[in-house]
Amino acid sequence: MTVKVKFFASFRDVFGVRERDLSLPEGAPVRSLLEAIADSPRRRAEIFEGEALKPLVVVMKNAVPIGSLEGLGTPLAEGDTVAVFPFMTGG
Amino acid sequence: MPMYGYHGRILEVDLTEGRVEPKGLDPALVRDYLGGRGLATRIFCDEADPACDPLGPDNVIVLATSPLIGTNAPTSCRGHMVFKSPLSGFIGSSNSGGSWANAFKAAGYDALVVKGRSSEPVTLDIGPGEARLLPAADLWGRDVHETTEALSGGPGNPSKVLCIGPAGENLVRIAAVANDRNRVYGRCGPGAVFGSKRLKAVRVSGREKTELADRELFRSGLDQAVYLLKQAPVTKRLLREMGTAGLVELINLIGMLPHRNFQDCTHREADVERISGETLARTFLERAGGCFLCPIGCQRHTTVPGRSGPDEKGEGPEYETTVLLGPVCGIYDLESITRANYRCNELGIDTISFGGTVACAMELFEKGLLGPGETGGMDLSFGRGETLERLVRMTAGREGIGDRLAEGSFRLASSCGSPGLSMTVKKLEIPGYDPRASFTQALGYMTSPTGACHLRGGYAVSLAFFGGTKEIPRYSLLQSPIAIRNMQNVGILQDSLGVCRFTGYAFATDPWVRMASGATGTDFSAARLEEIANRVASLERLFNVEAGATAGDDDLPARFSDLAIVVEGKERSLSSGDKDRMRRDYYAIRGWNDEGRPTPETLGALRVRRRG
Repeated sequence: MTVKVKFFASFRDVFGVRERDLSLPEGAPVRSLLEAIADSPRRRAEIFEGEALKPLVVVMKNAVPIGSLEGLGTPLAEGDTVAVFPFMTGG
Repeated sequence: MPMYGYHGRILEVDLTEGRVEPKGLDPALVRDYLGGRGLATRIFCDEADPACDPLGPDNVIVLATSPLIGTNAPTSCRGHMVFKSPLSGFIGSSNSGGSWANAFKAAGYDALVVKGRSSEPVTLDIGPGEARLLPAADLWGRDVHETTEALSGGPGNPSKVLCIGPAGENLVRIAAVANDRNRVYGRCGPGAVFGSKRLKAVRVSGREKTELADRELFRSGLDQAVYLLKQAPVTKRLLREMGTAGLVELINLIGMLPHRNFQDCTHREADVERISGETLARTFLERAGGCFLCPIGCQRHTTVPGRSGPDEKGEGPEYETTVLLGPVCGIYDLESITRANYRCNELGIDTISFGGTVACAMELFEKGLLGPGETGGMDLSFGRGETLERLVRMTAGREGIGDRLAEGSFRLASSCGSPGLSMTVKKLEIPGYDPRASFTQALGYMTSPTGACHLRGGYAVSLAFFGGTKEIPRYSLLQSPIAIRNMQNVGILQDSLGVCRFTGYAFATDPWVRMASGATGTDFSAARLEEIANRVASLERLFNVEAGATAGDDDLPARFSDLAIVVEGKERSLSSGDKDRMRRDYYAIRGWNDEGRPTPETLGALRVRRRG
């Protein structure tokens, strides 16, 4: 299946693109997608702390925070969009 | 015995009588209300009649500092102003960074109280050991930057200037009060209250130090705060790199970015990119900047190409300005937004209320309720960025259609027979987050004492990013009342400590407990601070109830019930039943009755007394 991943804020520099398509096995979880994009020690350090998602990193599947779904185990489907960004605020 | 953390003095000014006199500050008052918003609200509620005319001599302006202002606590530069709002008719409460509040404290005062009305324009001049009123006829008509320059006295002069521009002088109900040229007390129309009193400016200078009771305790909190601000990416670098407008694309991602006077939240991604913080950083940004004692640095010092002469320099836009002057008006032209921001800063206008009012005018124009005859032939269609700058000038000067924009969107829409097209709560324009995309934010707008404000009403956007366990708090009827009460209380404490909202993304209460307790020698424990926040919230509510507020005023425009937006593939709107339930639960959590009136038991437990 093909899943789109979008980067925002400083993660665009870290990952070198605004968005990219990834091929993953059918039903792969969000963790697999993040493992695939964390393809260097620097990139991994931006996303993970050990095996857990690093604090203040936000991951959304189709604009829903994965914390409200099944966390890193949230299954993905063909056509899903995953957004990855450092926590940002404004106002 | 010294009053550690405070000077123990209030400066009271009666403009009708031309009297300026220092008064003592009751130590019991600061133990119960801390400083900033809490202290200003208590003094204001003692001094002002809730039934007073906001633009009459009986309105009272109270500006308060905090026990941390005058210390080196990070971001401790924010003054707080309370008055009766000429826009809402309820309590007005506005906060600003900059260096004025620090200079005012260094002049030896904790709070300023301004009453009455001068017959001629005046400047209040506060120096070491002396405060006096000076004629300001020569400054009347000058903009914020000109006034600041005229009163600052050049390099080496430590004076700091707080002033209004022509908008405040002309009683524009959405007028702001500025310090440091571009830092503004924007919301609720404080500039018009200054203008009604013929108070053009307050100049301050002084060198009095704020004495600390327990340096070691203060230092332990300070060290922790500074360390944590350097750890969190958002306070360490993201706000510096992208400004608050770094949020624009993310708010669009979660379906919360309003469009065309809140008719929908649908945008083309390419359009949103044109106004993003990243685009601003790549185009007009010259450098980031910070308020006094701020290591975060979200200010945007920008330059746009000159129309016929040299490049124009100014500040902004930040997130709210970008959204309200941008997509809410159907505009994605960053240069027009930035120029209009410059003009609002110079002429002294709140960019949120101005953008909301222009968007309302555009919808009235689109629907034929405001014709070309009334706009002086101007085409007020959505999306016309080139009209913004001219409309700011016309509003500040009350020229042509600007005279009606100067009244704010509710009065404008009502004069066209369609008050429902004003996107306001308590007649205050809604900021740049659509309430249909977060019930928590919606409840914050509904229950904010000042009307639709993300700062006084509580900021729920971080919930939207992080979600909850299974139920997403932003749509949870059950969790929203407690979540927004907590956010409002954090805001009351930050406003009362005189510090910035953004510190809350690096650390919670503990460093502030140690700094406030160390500065004052009073044990401001987390529990005590929470009690102070609850006390201030109930006092603000009591003023509003006595000014005529009912539960019916804690409501959103019908658009947010009648017209759904699509978020995450689902239609979202707020039914009357959902709003009633959240409001009722919120009142219960606050200890207020079903009409939103604080119960005698609540007032007794919090020791909130009535006026006097």
